Amino acid sequence: MSQKVLLIEDEPHIVAALRFLLQREGLSVSDHDNGADALDRIRSIKPNLVILDIMLPGKTGMQVLEEIRDDAQLKDLPVLMLTAKGQRKDREAAETAGASLFMTKPFANQDILQNVKKLLQI
Amino acid sequence: MARSLTGTRIRERRRGRKLSQTDLAKQVGISASYLNLIEHNRRGIAGKTLLAIAERLDVDARTLSEGADRAHMLKLREAAAHRADAGAELEQLEEFIGRFPGWAKLLDAFHTETKYQKESLLALSDRLNNDPFFAEAIHLMLSNITAIHSTANILADGGEIPGQLKAEFLKNMETESGRLAKTASDMINHFNSPAASEQFSDQSNGLDRFFERHGFYLPELDAGTAGPDTYLDAIDDLSDFDRGELGDALSHYAAAARALPLEAFLDKAGELHFDPLLLGQAFGVSLETVLRRLAHLPQTDGVPEFGFLKVDSSGGVLFRKELTTLHLPKFSSGCPLWPVYRCLGQPGHPVRAIMNTPTGENFLTYSTAIQAPVNSFGLPPTLTATMVFTTDFDLFLPRSDRQSLPILDVGLHCSVCPRLSCSARRSAYILE
Repeated sequence: MSQKVLLIEDEPHIVAALRFLLQREGLSVSDHDNGADALDRIRSIKPNLVILDIMLPGKTGMQVLEEIRDDAQLKDLPVLMLTAKGQRKDREAAETAGASLFMTKPFANQDILQNVKKLLQI
Repeated sequence: MARSLTGTRIRERRRGRKLSQTDLAKQVGISASYLNLIEHNRRGIAGKTLLAIAERLDVDARTLSEGADRAHMLKLREAAAHRADAGAELEQLEEFIGRFPGWAKLLDAFHTETKYQKESLLALSDRLNNDPFFAEAIHLMLSNITAIHSTANILADGGEIPGQLKAEFLKNMETESGRLAKTASDMINHFNSPAASEQFSDQSNGLDRFFERHGFYLPELDAGTAGPDTYLDAIDDLSDFDRGELGDALSHYAAAARALPLEAFLDKAGELHFDPLLLGQAFGVSLETVLRRLAHLPQTDGVPEFGFLKVDSSGGVLFRKELTTLHLPKFSSGCPLWPVYRCLGQPGHPVRAIMNTPTGENFLTYSTAIQAPVNSFGLPPTLTATMVFTTDFDLFLPRSDRQSLPILDVGLHCSVCPRLSCSARRSAYILE
């Protein structure tokens, strides 16, 4: 059974590109476009990996990450953070909040695939 | 005491006019050997001989005897301090200006230009970091670029893509590139808007440049023989906003000069160790008036040089006079530990303290905040705080007073402050 990836990203064309890339690698991909009820979606889908954008409507990716780490069932879930703000303080904040890996936009497809495989250990 | 370089200046002027020592000596009625001794600073010169030589060399006698003006010297000293690594020979500065006036002027001009260019860059950098429109536009552009880049990679990597999906990807790229072009265009329009240009221009020019050009001392205004309009009428290229601001600053200066006439003020200041509170009491004026007066003193021997900073309650800079050793912010606030900011939280409670900077400079500071009269119900009072500072306090402050003063370890701006564990830090140190 293929591993599941949940993309939490509000830019539909980035979602379309990532969805294609990940499905081509044999992964099952779902997406969600806001932070407000992201945690419910994670609980419902039970993904093996979450790719989480920082700038989201409703709730920031950082707040969603904190909720994930505070949840006993989800605290070990691998989370790959994405942001358009590549400043050091964002990276540090994401690491402190418990991001498994952090990538800045724009990214190369091969780099994100490499990181996804690393986190899914495939 | 520096040796007199009158002779050196005579020699350089004479050579500049391609006049032999013998000819000049003959024309002013002295022997060539005596002129030779004068030119090598081994004999003093004054009175009629000096006047005769000055007349023959077509130069003011005072220029020959006093050399470069103090403001010019200070600017070149500032240039040397700015690039201390160059090892400029400061002890030969006056000789340099005397011997190579054109080169000295060029160096001065380059330094001034560099300074203003740096300030322009700081203004731009500040703007780029703090402009909410710009931050949003960059975020949008990076998202557009990510979508285009990622989709283009998929189309270009040679893998199989179902026809319908391929068409969808091409459509996505077209949409995203259109958005990218629009955001870029909006950004250019934003930076070209009259409001943006005016704001940038206001911050770059006007008040600061005017007072810097005059060394913050205007003899005629100070003496009451000229009013603010004399200076305002002489300037053409000033925006209405700058003109109003400059008019206010000149009026405040004139008022301080009237209340504290220069000669009487300096006499009393020497007697009272430049203590601004005692000076205010002696002349019956506010502490703020005394602090402003200290910012507008002639730069002569025995008078300490004071820097000046006036900020509003958000920390925005309203008026500033830098010292070579303390660069003041122009577009953002300085170190939050400076006493001037502390005063904003305690109007009416002036602070006297020594600021110790990371480079080891000590500045004696006096700060106070005042509340403007409220002229409307429901609005909070407007506060401003003023700080004067000097490194010259050895000249006037008794040792016993110095030892009793609190010493504050402060910085200049977080980005260049090596006090890494400071609890007031608000941005990263960039010189690691």
